[in-house]
Amino acid sequence: MDKAVLGLFTYADELLDAAKKLEGSGYDITIFSPIPLGHEIEHKLGPRKNHIKYFTFIGSVAGLFFGLLLTLGTAAMYVIPRGGRPIWSITPTLLMSYETTILIGVMFTLMSFLFFSKLPSFSKKIYDPRINVDYFGLLIDGNLRGRYDEVERILRDHGANEIKRVEETEYNS
Amino acid sequence: MAPHHMSDNQTGDVISYKEVNDDVVRTMTETGKWYYIALAGAFSGFLAFWILPWAYQIYKGQGVSGLNTPDFWGIYLTNFVFWIGISHSGTLLSAILFITKTPWRRSIYRSAEAMTFFSVATAAVFIFVHMGRPWNFYWTMPYPNQRQLWLNFQSPLMFDVFAISTYATSSMIFLYFGSIPDLAAVRDRVTGWRKQVYSALALGWRGTDSEWHWLFKAYTFFAVFIIPLAVSVHSIVSWDFALSKVPGLAKTIFAPYFVVGAIYSGSAGIVTLMIIFRKAMKIEKYITLNHFDKLGMLLLVMSLLWSYINVIEVFTGWYANTSAENETLVYRMFTTPYAYMFWLMIVTNTLLPLLFIFKKCRTSILACLVVSLGINVGMWLERYLILTTSLPRKFLPYMWHDYIPSWVEISMTLGSFCFFAMLFLLFVKLWPSVSIYEVKEDIGIPMRKGGGHH
Repeated sequence: MDKAVLGLFTYADELLDAAKKLEGSGYDITIFSPIPLGHEIEHKLGPRKNHIKYFTFIGSVAGLFFGLLLTLGTAAMYVIPRGGRPIWSITPTLLMSYETTILIGVMFTLMSFLFFSKLPSFSKKIYDPRINVDYFGLLIDGNLRGRYDEVERILRDHGANEIKRVEETEYNS
Repeated sequence: MAPHHMSDNQTGDVISYKEVNDDVVRTMTETGKWYYIALAGAFSGFLAFWILPWAYQIYKGQGVSGLNTPDFWGIYLTNFVFWIGISHSGTLLSAILFITKTPWRRSIYRSAEAMTFFSVATAAVFIFVHMGRPWNFYWTMPYPNQRQLWLNFQSPLMFDVFAISTYATSSMIFLYFGSIPDLAAVRDRVTGWRKQVYSALALGWRGTDSEWHWLFKAYTFFAVFIIPLAVSVHSIVSWDFALSKVPGLAKTIFAPYFVVGAIYSGSAGIVTLMIIFRKAMKIEKYITLNHFDKLGMLLLVMSLLWSYINVIEVFTGWYANTSAENETLVYRMFTTPYAYMFWLMIVTNTLLPLLFIFKKCRTSILACLVVSLGINVGMWLERYLILTTSLPRKFLPYMWHDYIPSWVEISMTLGSFCFFAMLFLLFVKLWPSVSIYEVKEDIGIPMRKGGGHH
């Protein structure tokens, strides 16, 4: 398998310039950062999609119906007559459904986050522990045969502090 | 790497990203002897003041407490409401400040959220203590069973079960998912058993743009869910009382009264805890006087709101002018010993926080400590008064009976503070208690071409 190239930067703007240049030339890139760069990346490389909202919505609606089913179903199956009071009472039904809406909405959001971010993942992946301190990383992956020099030149031109060729099996942490 | 220039950020003299990692990991790995003394103290207090009396109560029966006709809701439920109230600031405040992108949230929110989770846990245990037969707890859970019984969802106690378990679950998820990048940062620094533990907890986080992207999308939704949830939880706790017909409890203002009271006591709890925490962990440069200034303003606002609602509560009772309401008011406000508690509460919760009008007081650690402790004493008394001056004075005078807590109840109250302290002490050693990546955001993104801030 081809080795990938990992460039480490001190400055976020230099990293983003390099990322834009390389993405423009058709390379597969991954940005690593110690802090969220959401705004800066969207500004530079275009907006990202947010699929999680659909799952949150579906989860909330499912939670609402679960709550309704649980409360109304219980009341219907185990009837407790109390002088003239309704068996299906609106207020408690809404209260219970309110809580289950939130609970199952949160659960669906959680699941969709794990699904989209591909976590948890404990297999060996390319990484450098300095990224979690104060370095920004730019990983160029995919078919790089014969193009290493070009990639490394672009990284160097944009001010990368360190450039290395890495393999997935060389995970060091 | 080159130092980042500081400008309008919240933290004091933090210079570089690396320093943040160093400081936070230091709070977890370097442990002084005072930490062990405090932990041992809290743990033995928890055993001696809570577990043993509770075992005694389970063995002898609920009769060893002061609970008797007509007041079956004494200190246990006072503590339950108190701890649920304390829980209301951490996660709620963190979520609100996250949505509104308030910069001073960043270095305090992690420990505030932990405070939420631990105080919900403490409160939940009081339900078990109060229950008399705690082993029958599973009767409150809906599942197909041979008893041919399902829950009565029209009882406010059932609302509680659902609201509090939803709140505890969501707060835990909020706390954990906000910490994943920091757990990864810790993973990269430690060795031995810690390495194993944090590798598992960090879920293989690498800090890629897609991980950050999805984390923040999910985190925003968690925050959006948490805000109405927290409001609903304390409203529901208030309905445990307000849906009754007892004079002094059956008030429509109870839901906002409890929510405001909860945020008030919770914020005071944060102030007290932060003062101890920053001193003990030597992280004064992360939790600065500026934080106390902002929290002081919040306390002042909550104090005014709480006082207003308290006046309204007394006013509506007086205005109703029924003999039962009047009796409850006189009993609460002008009868020994409750009068002392009531007027002490007014002093600590209404008058004392007025000091925070002055910036000098908001930025004085001593003033913050005194006022925040005072507020929490007052808020505990408020819950105590709600429970012990209403039920003993119900409609029929022949049923009247004063509630006097027994040593078992008082001991368990002390024990709950030890339990909370123990959980928090364990937390600061096992979890990055200051958010590493968000303090870094505060320092600013390092840019070659100037303009390091958003």
